[in-house]
Amino acid sequence: MADHLVLLVEDNEVNRNMLVRRLQRAGHRVVTAGDGEAALLAMRTERPGVVLMDMNLPVKDGWTACLEAKQDAAICDIPVIALTAHAMEEDRNRALEAGCCDYATKPVDFPDLLKKLSAQLDATR
Amino acid sequence: MRPAEAVSQLRPRLSLRGRLYLFSGAILILFAINVGTSLWGSFARNESSLAYQEAVTTAQLTAELEQNLQKQRQQILVLATLRGTTEEPLDATALDQARTDIEIIAERLRQLGGFGGEELEPYYRRLHDSTTALLGEWQQFYDNYNDQATAQDVESALSYNNTQQHLQELDQRQSFIAVQRANAIDRTITLTDQITVVGFISSIAITLALVFAMIRSTNASLTRMKQGVERFGSGDLTYRIDEQRDAGEIGDLARTFNDMSSKLQVAIEEMNTARADADSANAAKSMFLANVSHELRTPLNAIIGYSEMLQDELGDGIEIDREQFHHDLATIIFSGKQLLTLINDILDLSKIETGKMQVTREVFNPAALLVQICDALSPLLSQNNNRLVLDIDKNSMRDMNSDRGKLQQIVTNLFSNACKFTKEGDITVSASMTANTLIVAVADTGIGMTQAQQARVFEAFMQAESNTGLKYGGTGLGLAIVREFCTMLGGDITLESEPNQGSVFRVTLPAAPASAPVAA
Repeated sequence: MADHLVLLVEDNEVNRNMLVRRLQRAGHRVVTAGDGEAALLAMRTERPGVVLMDMNLPVKDGWTACLEAKQDAAICDIPVIALTAHAMEEDRNRALEAGCCDYATKPVDFPDLLKKLSAQLDATR
Repeated sequence: MRPAEAVSQLRPRLSLRGRLYLFSGAILILFAINVGTSLWGSFARNESSLAYQEAVTTAQLTAELEQNLQKQRQQILVLATLRGTTEEPLDATALDQARTDIEIIAERLRQLGGFGGEELEPYYRRLHDSTTALLGEWQQFYDNYNDQATAQDVESALSYNNTQQHLQELDQRQSFIAVQRANAIDRTITLTDQITVVGFISSIAITLALVFAMIRSTNASLTRMKQGVERFGSGDLTYRIDEQRDAGEIGDLARTFNDMSSKLQVAIEEMNTARADADSANAAKSMFLANVSHELRTPLNAIIGYSEMLQDELGDGIEIDREQFHHDLATIIFSGKQLLTLINDILDLSKIETGKMQVTREVFNPAALLVQICDALSPLLSQNNNRLVLDIDKNSMRDMNSDRGKLQQIVTNLFSNACKFTKEGDITVSASMTANTLIVAVADTGIGMTQAQQARVFEAFMQAESNTGLKYGGTGLGLAIVREFCTMLGGDITLESEPNQGSVFRVTLPAAPASAPVAA
């Protein structure tokens, strides 16, 4: 098992289970959160190496969670990759403005997602 | 009222035409006054010259008369003296000459009588009487001259002196009247001269003043027009030219400009509204596309993700967990069906929005249809352990003339929504009919909605919360389509709901189209 941890934030159970299984198969350790608030808590307690964050989340949406993470000195260094079914150019910009360092659209291109994960992990190592 | 307004109230408001008429009228009156005084003056001069001529003629006649009288008297006195000494008779020629002279005197007297008016009448009558008497005596003198027997008086003692005196009196009187008339005429001439001069000068002054006032008032009016049009031109369409300040054409022009401005304002507002509508329609279309894209990607994510994962797991050569594999395939199929529903809903909504959704009317029994729908959808009840309560008022139900397929889709959507958002509760489908309306209510005991959620729930792509679709499935299009269908069938849909207390969707549809009677 790799030494890093991936935090997957996704409220849809079907998609969450699928991504967890695929990431684990690719050799990542994965923890999950179901909403933005839980994601921030997990970032503080688990200190993941990278966060995969859906943007349409209950309780606190992905953009807000991202902005708050950037305000928190303890977790602002953790890279966040936005993961969303909003595929328009402005959605991408909106995610990057919120402080995400990369952006992936659903349906997920899994090999591409793995590359983006590795790139973020290498950059912070 | 402010002072300026009071002043403008007092100011006579004349149209441009009125001003021109007034102006021309004033000029004409001034012109007529000038011509009148000028005519009066020349008439007075003419009269003066006539009076002068008359005075001269009468003076001449008087002088001539006097001279003739004197000459004739001297001749008579001489003849009378000669008659006393020589007794030589006069020949016929001399007598005729004397008679002619007397005739001339009488003629002159008559001529003199033609002059002078009533004033001179008594004077002339006295002169005439005495002269006629004198001439009579002289005539007699000549008639009797050759008659030796008759004693010859030249004249009666008083006759000549009387005549002389009367002549002088007439002369004096004539002179006096002539002087009087001359004075009066002089005064008239002076007066008319003065009037002419004053009239002329004041005409010039008044004309100049009128021209100035005319130019000023017209200029002020036109300046107001110009300012107004400039304001309009610069886009200030709320500005209004003061149309009360001018009457007639310029006031009309101001009103026309104001009307034009109002119309432009309305047109621009309409244009802005139309543009805003077009913009918002465009934005709505973009939003629709973005939403469609989003909604399609969500089930596709599961389909592609699970398929790839299963493919990877098969490729590993590790033994397959059959139960897990079956479950994963079920997920793929569920997502695929959800995708199909979504595509159908989008097509329906698109048809509705482009006006291509047809209403196909037929006569059917709504009670039978509702039972049929509930039977067909009963598998949905078991998903969340819900119970169906079917409450159809069989007594009131009759055949209706409507679109069977759309009613089916309406009830199906409401039913599956109720099943989706209710766990271990009751789904109640009730129906009844009034004289011309079918009422179908689908009630549940599920999660319900807040007022804010209720307000948006019939909008396309709006579920009560943006993540509801992921949790409960569904596209967010079902209720939008239901509402559109209700409207197309001439009916309505209402919603009563409270959070955690469930929801009631109540559909009312006319039993027959408005133009046709209910089919038996």
